[in-house]
Parts: sequence; C-alpha cells; structure tokens
Amino acid sequence: MVMEDLADYALKYAMDKGVEYAEVRAQKQVKETLILRSGILEAYSWSVDSGFCTRVIAKGGLGFASTNKGTKEEAREIVDLAIKYAKASERRDKLVFAKEKSIEAKWSVGQKKKLEDVSPEEKIEKFSEINKALASCGINIAANMLSCDVDLISKYYVNSEGSKISSFIPRIGAYSFITVVEEGKTEQAYQQFGYSGGWEALEEWKMEERILHDAKVLKEVILKGKAVKPGTMDLVCGPSVAGIAAHESCGHPMEADRILGREMSQAGRSFIYEGGPYWIGTRIGSEAVTIVDDPTIENSYGYYAYDDEGVRARRRYLYKEGIINEFLHNRESAAKLGTRSNGSSRSANYDREAIVRMANTFVLPGDYSEDELIEDVKYGVLMKSFTEWNIDDKRFNQRYVGREAYLIENGELKHPLAKPVIETTTEKFWKAVDAVSKNLEFEAATCGKGDPAQGIPVFTGGPSIRLRGVYIK
Amino acid sequence: MTDALDKTEEIVKKAKGLGADEALAKTTFGRYRQVRFSNNQVDVTLAWNDYVTDVALAWKKRVVMTQIHNFEDVEGAVKRLMDLSKISQENPTFGGFVKGKFKYAECKADEKLREPGSLTDYVFEAIGAAEKEAGSRIESGGILFTKFEDVYLASSEGPLGVDSRSAIELSIRVFSEREASGHAVECSSALKNFKPERAGGKAGEIARLARGPKVGEEGVYDVVLDPLIMGSFLATWASMASAFYVMVRMSVFAEKIGQRVAPEIVTLKDHAAQYSLANRVFDDEGAPVRENVIIDHGILKTYLHNNSTAKLFKTETTGNAGLVVPTPWNVEMEPGDAEVEELFEGLKHGLYLTNTWYTRFQNYAKGDFSTIPRDGIFLVDKGEIKESWKDIRISDNILSMLSNVAAISKERQHVHWWGEAEPPSLAPYVLIKNVHVTKSR
Repeated sequence: MVMEDLADYALKYAMDKGVEYAEVRAQKQVKETLILRSGILEAYSWSVDSGFCTRVIAKGGLGFASTNKGTKEEAREIVDLAIKYAKASERRDKLVFAKEKSIEAKWSVGQKKKLEDVSPEEKIEKFSEINKALASCGINIAANMLSCDVDLISKYYVNSEGSKISSFIPRIGAYSFITVVEEGKTEQAYQQFGYSGGWEALEEWKMEERILHDAKVLKEVILKGKAVKPGTMDLVCGPSVAGIAAHESCGHPMEADRILGREMSQAGRSFIYEGGPYWIGTRIGSEAVTIVDDPTIENSYGYYAYDDEGVRARRRYLYKEGIINEFLHNRESAAKLGTRSNGSSRSANYDREAIVRMANTFVLPGDYSEDELIEDVKYGVLMKSFTEWNIDDKRFNQRYVGREAYLIENGELKHPLAKPVIETTTEKFWKAVDAVSKNLEFEAATCGKGDPAQGIPVFTGGPSIRLRGVYIK
Repeated sequence: MTDALDKTEEIVKKAKGLGADEALAKTTFGRYRQVRFSNNQVDVTLAWNDYVTDVALAWKKRVVMTQIHNFEDVEGAVKRLMDLSKISQENPTFGGFVKGKFKYAECKADEKLREPGSLTDYVFEAIGAAEKEAGSRIESGGILFTKFEDVYLASSEGPLGVDSRSAIELSIRVFSEREASGHAVECSSALKNFKPERAGGKAGEIARLARGPKVGEEGVYDVVLDPLIMGSFLATWASMASAFYVMVRMSVFAEKIGQRVAPEIVTLKDHAAQYSLANRVFDDEGAPVRENVIIDHGILKTYLHNNSTAKLFKTETTGNAGLVVPTPWNVEMEPGDAEVEELFEGLKHGLYLTNTWYTRFQNYAKGDFSTIPRDGIFLVDKGEIKESWKDIRISDNILSMLSNVAAISKERQHVHWWGEAEPPSLAPYVLIKNVHVTKSR
C-alpha cells in the first residue's frame, strides 16, 4: 500500500507548523528486473520500494526530505528537517510557486495483459527467445545484453492548497546491446524500448525484428560501408535522429529551470536566456519545424495525466513553425517568469525532488512521404539511426554519428556509409530543415538530469526530416 | 548497531532455512544531505533517510535479488525470493558468493558527518572565495553533498562485517561572463580535510581567466588536462577494466592482459582508500577491498572482479563486487615527476582543458568517442595562456589517448562530480600528445 495515512499525517503536521506551503508525495514501486548476458540469466530481481517525501516553503526557502521508514515519528522528523532546511536558505529572493487550482483526482493507465499476471518464467522465456533468434541469425553476434524492467508505480500526492491525487502507472522498459564481429572488425548497437501499460508492449515493440535488423546493418557497415566524402550536402534524418535532435537541442534548452540557471553547475544552462539573442518569439528553425512535448500520448513511455506537483498535463508547443514559443515549466520556474506551470514537473521516485522535465518530445509530422524526402536529393546522406551523440551544456553545439546510413545520389539510395558525422549548431540544424514526413515513429529513452541523477522515461523519435546544405564528414 | 547486524544475519539464516544454497544480505542505513545553489543563493536543501537491505540468494545456481526496507515483512520477502529462485533460470557462470571469514580494516568514518549541522555556511565560503578571484558580479551554482552510511553485511559463506562510510563534497561552477566559467570540486571523507574555499577559489580563477572566449579551432593538439577532466578519463579507463564490461565488449581492454596499453609512466590503481568519497572496507559480497594495480607501468595487469567473474577468468576476486557488475571504487593515477608548471612550459600552441561532459562512444570495443570540454579552455604557448576558447569537442580514441600520455604531475587532487567523473579518483595534471579537436560547422 502507498503510505496514504502517513502522507496525510505528515502534511497536517507541516501545516500546523505554519509553513507557507507544504506537499507530501508517497510512492510505492514494485520493480522486477532481469538481465541476460549472451543468453545467460545473470540475475532476476524483484522488490517493493515504498516511501514518501515532503517539500515545504518556509521563510521564502525550499526544503525537501524523504524516508522509507513508515512511522509517525519518522514523518515528524523529515518534516522538521525540511522546515529547518527551508528556513536556513536565507534567500535574497523569496521563493513562491505559481498559483494553480487545487485538484482532486484519481488516474491510472490500463493494461490489456497485466504485467503482474505475467510470471517471471514467461518474462524470462520471452527474452530467451530473442537471444536464441540472435544466436541463430547467421551473423556473428559476439556478445549481447538484453534486459527488462517492469515497474508498477502507485502514487499519492497531497498539498496544503487542497490537492489530492492518486495514480497508478504500470511501465515496462527493455534494452539491447549487441556487438557484431566480421572479418575481425566490430560494430555495436544499442536500442531501448519503453511503454506505459501492460505486457502487450512486447507485441508492439517487435524487439526481435528490430535487433536483428541492427545486426544486419552492423554487418553491412563492416563489409560494405564507405566513408562519406566530407562536404556540404543534403541530409535526411530518420525518426531516430530527428528525435534525438528534438530532445537535445529543443527540449533541454527549453527547460525553464535551466534557462533560469538552476541547473547551471551540473546539467548546465541554455543558449536561451533573458537579454540574450534567443528568447520567446525568436526564430530558431525554418517554418517547417514545429516541436512539441506531449505527456498525454496514451501508452507512451513518458505518459502522465498530472505532474508531480499536481498540475494537469498538456501538450506544449516548444518551437512553433520555427519560432521559440513556450518553455517547459514547473510551479517554481513559472512564478519566476510570471506565468503558469504547464505540468512539466517530474521526479524519478519519492526520494527525489520534482524538477522540470520533458515527457515525449518530437517534431510534428508534415506532408511528405519518406520516399519524397529522398527523391528530391541530388547528393546527400540518409542517416536512419545514430550511434555516438552529444551536445554542449548550453545545448547549441551538437554531434550525431550515423549507425545506419546510406549515400543518396539523384534521389536514390546507394551504398551504406560508415559513420557519417553531422557536427553543427542548433540554429543551423533547425533552419536547414525544408521538409518533414507524415509518418510518426516513436522511440523510448531515459532522459538524464538532476543531482542526484534522475533518469526519467521519455519518448523521442518522430517523423523523418530533410536538411538542405549542411556539412557532413 | 548490533541489532541491525543481528537482523541482517537473521535474513541470511531465514533464506538458508528455506533451502537457499547461499544467501547474502547487506543493510545500509543512509543519511544523505544536499544543498543545491544557483545564482549565488540556495535553491533547495534536501535530506534523504534510507533504510534498505539488499538481499541475494542462490538456489541451484539461480541467482535472485530483492530489497527489504526498514526490516519490514522479512518473512514474506525472503519466502517470495526463494519461490522466485525456483522458477528462475540457472546461471552456469555463477561462481558462488565469496567464501571465508575475513578480518576487515578498521573503518574511520567521520562521526561529524552523521548529522553535519549547517551546510549553507560551506556554500557561502566557496562563493566568497570565488568572488575574491573573479569579482562580486559572478554567478555561481553547484551542490554541497554529505553522506553517512552504517553498513551491515552477512553472508552464508562466511563474511560478516560492519562498516561506516562518510563523505562530503562540494561542486561549484562560477560564471564571470555568460560564456566564461570555471568549475572545481572539493571532496573528502572527513570534515577536517574539507576546504570549500579551495574549490571556490579555483573555479573563480578559471572563470576569470576564461573571460572573452572565442570559438576554438579544429586540429591536433598537445593537451594538458586538469585533475577534474582527468577524473572523467580515469573513470572511463577504470570502468572498462570491469570484467563484466570486458565480457560484453564494452571495453577496449578485452584480451589485453599482460600487454602494453600505455607508456611506462602510467600506473593506474583502484583503491577504496580512507580519504576517498568511496571509502569502504568490504565489497558487496563481503570480500575485503584492496589496492588493485590495473595498469602497472603501462602493462594491463588485471580486470576488476567479483567472485563469479574471477572464477570465469581463473583468478581471485579483487574485492570489487557488484553482484552482477564488478565496479571500480576509487581510481588512482600514480604521480609523475613533473611540476605542474613544467607541463605548461612544454606546450607549444597546445591546450589546457579544465573540465568536460557528455562523453559518448561510437564503439566501446574500439574506443572511438567524443566528449565536450567545458568551462576553462585555454590556448597555451610556452607556459602562457594566449586565448580563452569555447565550443570545441575532443573526437578521438580512448586507447590512443592512453597511449599518448607524455607527462604526469607530482601534484594530485581527489575529484568527483556528478556522473561525469564517477567513480571518484585521485588525479594528477597530465600532458597528452596529439589529441584531435573538432567543432561545429
């Protein structure tokens, strides 16, 4: 059971202490994990993690404390700690939260086949089958790792403004990492899968097919891949590459806490800041580029109905027709910038502070078929997926290295390319987009931010996009 | 304290009583405190109290694990785990948990970090030191973190022990201009050695020197790496020595034991020493931790093992369990004979890099990767800083960089920050030749 009674008790205890604001978030997480290394089940783990946290504003400062000991004495201790720490902040600018209406709600995500009804044997069997398919595919997969995480997450949220929200979200994620060796050369591929819902996820994912595709691609890259001749050319990015770019160079820099400097030390700042060259209303991409972050996509890995501050989730238009449009906000950042929260506050567990996060970030589809994007390229590259990637901490200089990539000549795909690289700025990347495909293919990812680190489930992916005249090496 | 050890032992006995071949339990009572600050003021102060027992058992080589919180529902959890083992699958490579009665080193955790009192003072000391270096108009942010853990471990295979682990660290990033910053850390296992003003002063100095940065130029450079950025590279090299990562090909060190992987001057160790943030006296199986020489004068000597990977590699555990993945605790690079100034004086049109982030690999087995230097990036000529740079990337090979280590300083610093320099390390200044630098086009 979620510690509802204790949460109510802790909230009342905090309110009786006369704080300006208090909330309590209790969470119970039933977690199963299996890890297969080249078909060997390393370990199977099953556990229940249950606890609660409180966050208070007192004397204009913010304090947070959590515990997994379910006693009233402990509840009083953590509330007292949070209040003591909030008061010790001695802030020049007193913190307030943006005003939001109080909510009473219960929400949950349905499952066609309940995760809790699928036995450990069936789970092991399913992943062992995938391993067998890899072992017998005729490609030398020298090593592979498959893992699966199942989480059944119950939450209970109450705050001093009258909000009371209960939720249940079942979530399943999986990872694969393969190494293909041919002619003494190695290539590697990683894939992640994620879903909010039940065991039916496995049918949707088509894991076996997708990992086998990776294996074939890696073999082709080893045997037939050629380096691209560096130069300025067109680039068609598949959903995978368009998705990572949307996440890294749109989603992250549009996080308002980052813009305000709250992450300045670890996760960094943003190229967007008050008084700088980029702000709401500034053009950052072509008119073809609209990027949204949307937690309301059913069964998505980043799905939620209310965020971890009790604010209703909704779609956010981050870059709209190429213009910087709306930041991602929690109640703290919204108050600082004189606006309302748009429900972007998430935490990884009861023992983590809720901070501004993405959910599912992607380019909105356009009117083109994927074939049409390629047909109109005289000379260029199709980068369907990526391997190495990174971006600087202001989210402006990024690099994506192709894993599955092909040369395009006169509108036709030619030979595979070995590791073509685009290394460019956020503005050049999004301003070069002239066409977007109408298909939409999501991919799962775990977004990192916060200290201590909080991995948060999200969708990336999206449509394919075409960039004109970018430098590829 | 004894009560907690008794309860931990009791879990092991219950598992054995239910038919487990082997059982292991580790209870951690953790007290963690953190101040997060930005724009020179405190954003939030956080406290975590954690009461957790990690339990693992093996039945007919089927390895299963769970967690129990605050010793609640021990009966139910152990029974459920035992049931799980019977429907799980055999792991033929499971070599058993480490066996033996061990005498552990004395743990010397700093009791003052059990309840560390006012933490914000340390933050303001660091900010004050930064202001002395870079002026009162700086913007600074970071974290101050303290840890105190009481750890109790019991194993059906013999190990039985108690440990206390303490740590305090400050990470501060200082901006003297929008794109001119310095980042420094102060890390210790005890309060008496903790000097937050040292990190504040260094971050402020780098931020001051970094003013007016220009976009850097692509090319191949000799590079002096500050201890903080060396912490990132040491963490990468040492993690790749984990036997698990060798087995799954996420390492450049596969099949290289006994081979030269670095020049003579390079010796890398793993050592969960008392000074370290990662101090401990036993690993997660109860094997005593020890000093392991991973690379001895350039020769790869050992991988890091738990008991199972050690058996696979026909050797003994190195005291680095992780039950599934052996892990380095605290990486040490042996000091060289160079003064820091000498490293800089030897640079001709070279770079001094102070920090990096976002290290990502194309291929772990080959070692091709890139990483993004941040904070102070300086063009140096004959010991003099000529320019401050920004917006460059190291795009190179992790094994080549190890091979190209040319000089190491006598001076070392204990460093750790976030996931970028994790695990912690004792890092010198290092000169590496022929490092490839790229930038956006």
